[in-house]
Amino acid sequence: MLKTPRFWIALAATLTVLGGVALPDADAQTKFTVGNAGGSSADAERKVFYGPFANANKIQIQEESFNQELAKIRSQVETGNLIWDIVTTTAINVATGCEEGLLEKVDWSKYLDPRLFREVGGVSECGVPYLFVSGGLAYDGNRIKEGPKTWADFWNVTRWPGKRGLLYRAEQTFEVALMADGVPPAKAMEVLSAPGGVERALKKLDELKPHIHWWKNGAESITLLASGEVAMSYAWNGRVASANKTNNLNLKMELGAGHVSGCQYWAIMKGSKNKDLAIKFIQYAVAAQSQADFVRVISYGPANRDAYGLLTDAEKATLPGQHMDKASLQLGKLYLGFWLANGDSLLQRFVKFAAQ
Amino acid sequence: MLALVAPSIVFLALFFVAPLGFFLFRSVDNSEVPGWLPRTVVALAQWNGVGLPEDAAYRALAEDLAALSGSTALPLLGRRLNHNVPGFRGLITGTGNRVDLRQAGSMREQLVSLDPRWGESTYWQTIRRERHALTPFYLLTALDLRHGAGGELERVPGDSAIFLGLLGRTLTISVVVTLLCVLLGFPVAATMAGSSPARANALLILVLIPFWTSLLVRSTAWVILLQNQGVVNQALVGLGLIDRPVPLIFNRLGLYIAMVHVLLPFMVLPLYSVLKGIPPELMRAASSLGAPPWTAFRLVYVPQALPGLVAGASLVFVLALGYYVTPALVGGPGDQMIGYFIAYFTNTAVNWGMASALGTILLVVVSLIYLALGRVVGLDRLAVR
Repeated sequence: MLKTPRFWIALAATLTVLGGVALPDADAQTKFTVGNAGGSSADAERKVFYGPFANANKIQIQEESFNQELAKIRSQVETGNLIWDIVTTTAINVATGCEEGLLEKVDWSKYLDPRLFREVGGVSECGVPYLFVSGGLAYDGNRIKEGPKTWADFWNVTRWPGKRGLLYRAEQTFEVALMADGVPPAKAMEVLSAPGGVERALKKLDELKPHIHWWKNGAESITLLASGEVAMSYAWNGRVASANKTNNLNLKMELGAGHVSGCQYWAIMKGSKNKDLAIKFIQYAVAAQSQADFVRVISYGPANRDAYGLLTDAEKATLPGQHMDKASLQLGKLYLGFWLANGDSLLQRFVKFAAQ
Repeated sequence: MLALVAPSIVFLALFFVAPLGFFLFRSVDNSEVPGWLPRTVVALAQWNGVGLPEDAAYRALAEDLAALSGSTALPLLGRRLNHNVPGFRGLITGTGNRVDLRQAGSMREQLVSLDPRWGESTYWQTIRRERHALTPFYLLTALDLRHGAGGELERVPGDSAIFLGLLGRTLTISVVVTLLCVLLGFPVAATMAGSSPARANALLILVLIPFWTSLLVRSTAWVILLQNQGVVNQALVGLGLIDRPVPLIFNRLGLYIAMVHVLLPFMVLPLYSVLKGIPPELMRAASSLGAPPWTAFRLVYVPQALPGLVAGASLVFVLALGYYVTPALVGGPGDQMIGYFIAYFTNTAVNWGMASALGTILLVVVSLIYLALGRVVGLDRLAVR
């Protein structure tokens, strides 16, 4: 039975079908893939970075979005099945990914002037900052005339009824909870990392829990606000500004209430076949001119300080610079050290908390 | 014959049996710890687990960590042990990158001065407990159990216990969805079975079109219909029936609505195929022998419908147990089922051990339910004729 030709034909057919899946793409060389945060920030990146760079270098840039789960990077590198070449990600992911060998280490001083990025925390061997983002209290100015001024107001569901949108992550959300509990924004990380800090944040979140609508990506926060599904939400400033601009909305941000601010970074996936192209791309994207163009599209702050010289005063006014004293910064030793050591376990604790 | 089934056997072995076995194994696999700390696990095997280990164990750990220093294995080892004790990652990377084997003096003093946590027995006991190539840790955690300080099994404290409640919630949601599907699906299937072929076909199309529509589309459609500013709420407010929108979605109600809608065809189709085979003469015979409609239905119709009912219900129930996309889209955080946490541990936390352990438990529960059902109804009746 086993020796019948039909058996071998069937087996060969099966293997051909299976093998076909693994055959490499013919034009894999020219493809360059970015993992980004999606939504309007990806739209802005496409317009300012991906499009012009792809045209100038005769390549094709593909995109995939993710919600900043380090796991998406880990699984690609650990299985040796790289889909992305570069990725836009957070400071903690850059630090963790660098330590675990998930991102390429590059001596950036060869390719750009690291001094230009000093104000926003600097360039690390695995990541180059390209935008400065502020996460803060946002609401729809057409629905709420007398807006909330503090995070305690955000917690006040009697005066402002309705659901509250918050980021489904421990990082940023814990800092916000402490601000609502009366901690000055600049002290939020200090309190959080001290004994009892996490419990205090969770206790504060527990008060608001029945009213919280958790969101996982920035685009969702804008949809929730625009549809009136939530009365107020934590949101990132660039997305709010671009929603107002492109969808004619009247979303307001109250950064004076305190905000969580930091950079988003370009990083190169470990083992990327297009490493040189990736370096070239990053050089292009963090150059002063590209950075200034980016600000004009989405109102995120530039990471390269030279970009300010290219902006008009009116353009600078769209940036959330006037409330920097009310920031809990996603930079520095305390912040990085705390989230690097406790990020995994706190996320797990947070997810359990949300599900109970 | 063999030639014809060979492709499917090869396919099943490669893409079903092998991955399934691999994932079941991941729920007990612990090769990282003995693999990366070979000297330490030998030294700790001598120790009885009380107080702190001998100096030799400190020396062994320092040598193991120094060997990993600078490599990516160090944070990966930390990540593995962090599953047991939060904060272990920082302890491992901080110590491994700074330990100096050449420094004179006791290694115990050096490690404790690098991080005072090396003077606490918890961390040592954890490494000692995890020194074997296989570990019960993930399966125990998935059952809200853990090893106490003395090595005995204990329940985790209430605020961190979650998985048994999650399993209960998953079962509750699945049972409710199944019952609702039976209640809604039976009349539909009975109507179809009693109709003329042309009408039955038209009704069948109505069942099949949603069945062929993507699950994602159907779940998202419910969000649009049921949200605060959605069609249903706007209509109710417009008609003056309610003052302000009622929460219909992102809660348990919305989840039941969407899941019943998605799973209803799985109830109707097997039931219809069975009901179609029941000769209408039997019901007529029952009434001509004097049985009132309800009695005839109960004694004649239902027993014959039972195989279809059981097949449909078990199909719906088992599918519901593994639901992930629909609860994620239309449920609140308190309505997430076990599939959500399997995805969380796979995609976000990269804790494959926990993901596999939860999967294993789900598999065991489903198998037990099937066996129990087989005992009660008879396994041969679970097949649709």
